Amino acid sequence: MRLSERDRAMLDGAFGEPARRAMDGLVQLGEAFDASDMVDIGYAHIHAGMAMYGGDVDLITALAAEGATMRTVVSTNIANADMARWQQTGAPPRLAALQQRAEAAHKALGGATCFTCTPYFAGHRPTAGMHAASIESGVTIFANSVLGALANRDGFFAVYAGMTGRYPRFGLHLPENRVPTHHVAISAAVSGTTDFTALGYAIGAEVTDGIPFVTGLGAVPDEDELDAMGVGMATSGGVAMFVLPGVTPGFAGDAAPPASVPQVAIGDGAIEAVYDKFCTAAVDGFDLVHLGCPHASLAEMRVYAGLLAGRRIADGVDCWVTTNRTVRSAAEAEGLLAPIEAAGARVVSDTCPMSCHFARTCSPDPSLGVTPPTLAGVLVDSVKQAHYVRDMIQCPTLVTTSARAVESAVTGRFVPRPFR
Amino acid sequence: MKGPAAGPALLSDTPLSFLGDLDIATGRVVGQGSDLIGQSVAGTVLVLRATRGSAGAWRFLYQLKRAGTHPAAIVLEGMPDPSVVQGAILSFIPVIANIPADLRATIAPGTPLSVDGASGMVRAE
Repeated sequence: MRLSERDRAMLDGAFGEPARRAMDGLVQLGEAFDASDMVDIGYAHIHAGMAMYGGDVDLITALAAEGATMRTVVSTNIANADMARWQQTGAPPRLAALQQRAEAAHKALGGATCFTCTPYFAGHRPTAGMHAASIESGVTIFANSVLGALANRDGFFAVYAGMTGRYPRFGLHLPENRVPTHHVAISAAVSGTTDFTALGYAIGAEVTDGIPFVTGLGAVPDEDELDAMGVGMATSGGVAMFVLPGVTPGFAGDAAPPASVPQVAIGDGAIEAVYDKFCTAAVDGFDLVHLGCPHASLAEMRVYAGLLAGRRIADGVDCWVTTNRTVRSAAEAEGLLAPIEAAGARVVSDTCPMSCHFARTCSPDPSLGVTPPTLAGVLVDSVKQAHYVRDMIQCPTLVTTSARAVESAVTGRFVPRPFR
Repeated sequence: MKGPAAGPALLSDTPLSFLGDLDIATGRVVGQGSDLIGQSVAGTVLVLRATRGSAGAWRFLYQLKRAGTHPAAIVLEGMPDPSVVQGAILSFIPVIANIPADLRATIAPGTPLSVDGASGMVRAE
């Protein structure tokens, strides 16, 4: 692999031990994938340090203690507790304290502490042609498909990209790998973010880790719908990029579908099947209604505030609206939090049901006193959340549109999305 | 991922997901879709056709390493996704990818194997 003078100096320890280790890891990664050289990274969305996994926060605090610094613009991914309002979610105090230690370490490292799966709604928007790294698959797909940045589905090494400002040139950092592998023709009628998560989920199941070229949507989806469709694909498959002509930079609205690639048809039945798959709880068998996966945008907060204004959440039902800190403060300035809270719902940041102490698939340090509660069921307005609630909280789920999820929370009975 | 390693061969025909298919505390395979269900990967040279993609794979490899239940090495017919490679480098677990498809058929389960991540060497002891 060709290295720049600066890369070599970093590898020789001229920038300190943490940077040397980061560059050494990136070189090994590049060699594994036969990268010719490194690219400059303009943005990295990095690991929060997860308090629900033993030793995981140590990965971040150790770097800070060694004096590591970030050398590019960095934002932090979702965490395991709301660090400002952890009591509201019933998080064990020691879990919250450990999560706060990760937050302090990130401040020392120089990363923006937004702790979200939607940093692009918190002002972190890599531009077209910019190379980026991301530990969150939803950020990867939004960056590649909507913003036109270049990113792989990374793991911990997004941290190393942030520390060095470099990343090996392989995968979706190469133009020749950013070409559609499937033509997905949609005849299903979809509307609203929940439908778009279901649509994405259906597409991801068909194309696995391919790049779908999507036609048949009719109207151009809004940004929340594009976001929803992307996270759906990244959840059921390993999709890192989709192509929607007229939206994805480099593909004009009249771009022709690729020739000689597999064709996939997605009709109404496929959407209904996804909803059915994740409606496993009894109609009155939910004790938590969750809105806002991935973390809500300001536009979505307006929708939720409008749906909840003047309503009252049923007794025995908890209702969470999850968003990031930045959107939360903008929503507060707009007067959107008051109607949500007056209805008896909570606005939660930094985490979400499947990322918090409800999850049963983690390995928390026993001293933290984490005992996941027994949940009868979780009702959500996102198929991504439903998928991970099923696998990580391991309880039944119900999924319906945002408006019907609020109706369910108010009445205490599930209001399904109608088909036909 | 560089480095030498050795252990008994554990062979699988089904793609393995490091997120969800493994119990961290024991290293046991719990994923219903895996033909290794009930067996432990701890200390083995894990010989796989493929890994199933998950961006969270790195964390579970690191958790296995912390618990001491990690495989000694991972040998693959294909290429793993970047997250698996990043987890392996972070956890010092050698990975050998793109082995010839006919190599697995020549390895009996439990055969002591030596591998070297730097050269890509896989050898029966």
